Amino acid sequence: MSLRAQAREVARIDLVVERRVGDTLRIVLPFAVVALMIFSLATPSAITDLGDIGIAVFWGVAVLYGMQIALRISASETARRREVMSLIGLDPAARFLGRSFASAMMLMMFMTVLLVFTVVLFDPDLPDAWLPTMLLVIVLAASGLAMLSTLAGEVAGGLRNKSALASLIVAPLVVPVVVGASQTLESMNQDNGILLWILLLITTDLVLLTAGIGLSRPLEEASR
Amino acid sequence: MKRVQILLLLAAVALAGGAVLAFSAPLDRLQGEYTRLLYVHVPTLWIAFLAFGLTAFGSIADLIRKKMRWDRRAAGSAEIGVLFSVVGVCTGMVWGQVVWGQAWAWSAARLATPGLLVFVYIGYLALRQAIDDPVRRARRAAILGTIAVVQTPLVYFSVNLWRTLHQTQSIRPDGSTMEPEMLVALLVNVAAFTIAYIALLVGRTFVSRLEEDAAPATELAGDQVSPPRLSEVEDV
Amino acid sequence: MTSLIELDSVGVTIGNNPILDAIDLVVAPGDSVAVIGPNGSGKTTLLRVIATLLRPTSGRVVVMGTDTSEDMGANRGQGNGFITHEPGLLAELTLEENLVHFSRLSGEDPSAVAQALYAVGLENVASRRVSDASFGMKRRAEIAWQLIAKPRLVLLDEARSGLDEGARSLIDSLTVLTVSRGGAVVSVSHELPSQGDEWPQTVLELSNGRLIPR
Repeated sequence: MSLRAQAREVARIDLVVERRVGDTLRIVLPFAVVALMIFSLATPSAITDLGDIGIAVFWGVAVLYGMQIALRISASETARRREVMSLIGLDPAARFLGRSFASAMMLMMFMTVLLVFTVVLFDPDLPDAWLPTMLLVIVLAASGLAMLSTLAGEVAGGLRNKSALASLIVAPLVVPVVVGASQTLESMNQDNGILLWILLLITTDLVLLTAGIGLSRPLEEASR
Repeated sequence: MKRVQILLLLAAVALAGGAVLAFSAPLDRLQGEYTRLLYVHVPTLWIAFLAFGLTAFGSIADLIRKKMRWDRRAAGSAEIGVLFSVVGVCTGMVWGQVVWGQAWAWSAARLATPGLLVFVYIGYLALRQAIDDPVRRARRAAILGTIAVVQTPLVYFSVNLWRTLHQTQSIRPDGSTMEPEMLVALLVNVAAFTIAYIALLVGRTFVSRLEEDAAPATELAGDQVSPPRLSEVEDV
Repeated sequence: MTSLIELDSVGVTIGNNPILDAIDLVVAPGDSVAVIGPNGSGKTTLLRVIATLLRPTSGRVVVMGTDTSEDMGANRGQGNGFITHEPGLLAELTLEENLVHFSRLSGEDPSAVAQALYAVGLENVASRRVSDASFGMKRRAEIAWQLIAKPRLVLLDEARSGLDEGARSLIDSLTVLTVSRGGAVVSVSHELPSQGDEWPQTVLELSNGRLIPR
């Protein structure tokens, strides 16, 4: 079986499982929306225009909660399941690619819906023609977060406190995604170029893609 | 063990010498006595980056060579790196409060990066804590260390891009803006801290090896299970 | 290739605990080997080494002609069926969906799944989710997968435990099928195979970390 075919099958099954279990839509998304509300309620009265902090809060919540979506399968997969996949002949690189793709799809959906709530709750100042750029940024940010979370989930898989541990691993390393994503719209608002931030996001994604594929076999062996 | 003792002695002497120079060097007229924090803040950040660099190198070496000594070095270096980062960031915060009136500014990239790196390596150490078997621990830690290697430059670059207010570099390749005595004191302290780092690392890896070799089981696992003895026990 | 498995002085130590010590084993095509031993004697560890899921601490492991002591991924997907205590099925999928998933990953024809489930008696519960299936059903589904994949090497870890007579007969059938097409079966258990089972050619005992003929 080709790498692409295996990756496609892994992604398909992850999305089927997510559709049945429904963690993202039924639990994490509402939780994240409540988090947006909590941030707006916790904002001091000195900040009269919530729009000033809206996009910043969006990215903070999107990344921190999105992490939970992306980690849920990697971190919860049993050692036995990983062994079965290995014996069947699943290429670990295909597992990384497929899992990351499925997580990225879910994250994109999650972030897009969350963005709608952010616009409603915070009424941020948005530049002209912001939506296509924002959607591009969501694609890039979701991809980076998905790949990093998949890696972290595999590193921590099967260990005690795996979800918390994987989150701790992801959090500081996801900074380039947060900075690149949040600063893109900020730059547009200030009529500055966005190329640098987009390049930062693309570079981060490429680095994580390379690391994920390159480390997939050592990671599979280390997880046994 | 003797090597560790010699290195610790050397480190003590070097640090003492560094302290003497730090207290005898002239003060910056704006910062006053707080100038002396420079001789701790800069060396500790240097050691933090050096330590994390060795963790990164050791992780990659362990991944390729699969030798436990690289894992011990990487782990020991991470522990030392966390310690020195915390000291470096704290001294930087005190300095920031005095000089800029602000203990912490995200735009001060040279505080922000070690501040973030600490958590990368806290995660690394937490991962190690969660695995009992030394070989499995070494392999997974090596992978995480390698991921950190490739991602950390991007972390640094992205924070740096996000504006910096930090003081411009005092030591430039084309000459220094510091007085010569201050520069000498700083460089001696950097060297002293480096010797201290090496001493701590050698000591830590020595202890790690002792821990790994400690009390190996002499009995096979299966032989440690005894046959049931219900008949010998009353009131069961 | 003259043998399917060659273990040469294989030792396994996990942490500071020695589990196996200088294991020697040769399994040729057509062999059916039963390894017995008490709880904690290292039977599962032995199978995991043969399945290239565990790197030995010492010694050499050659499986299907490839030295897997250093490169554990060398035999990836090369025909190694491993049935152990925990079925490796996804709980959120049905029994059938799991086997279709395995088929797609390994290049097998997914249309063979229905026939395999019928062969093991699961045709009426094929659309039951694994989370709602009994242990016996999951075990039969695993056996169905082995019928589809036709691995050269079948490794059974206490595979008969918790199964009814019908399912136990499936284990015997799997053994016969594998052996008859030139493969080999290694099974481990804490008890001797009883008469009426597919009598193995060789019975070995795992004692003091070593394999000795019974």
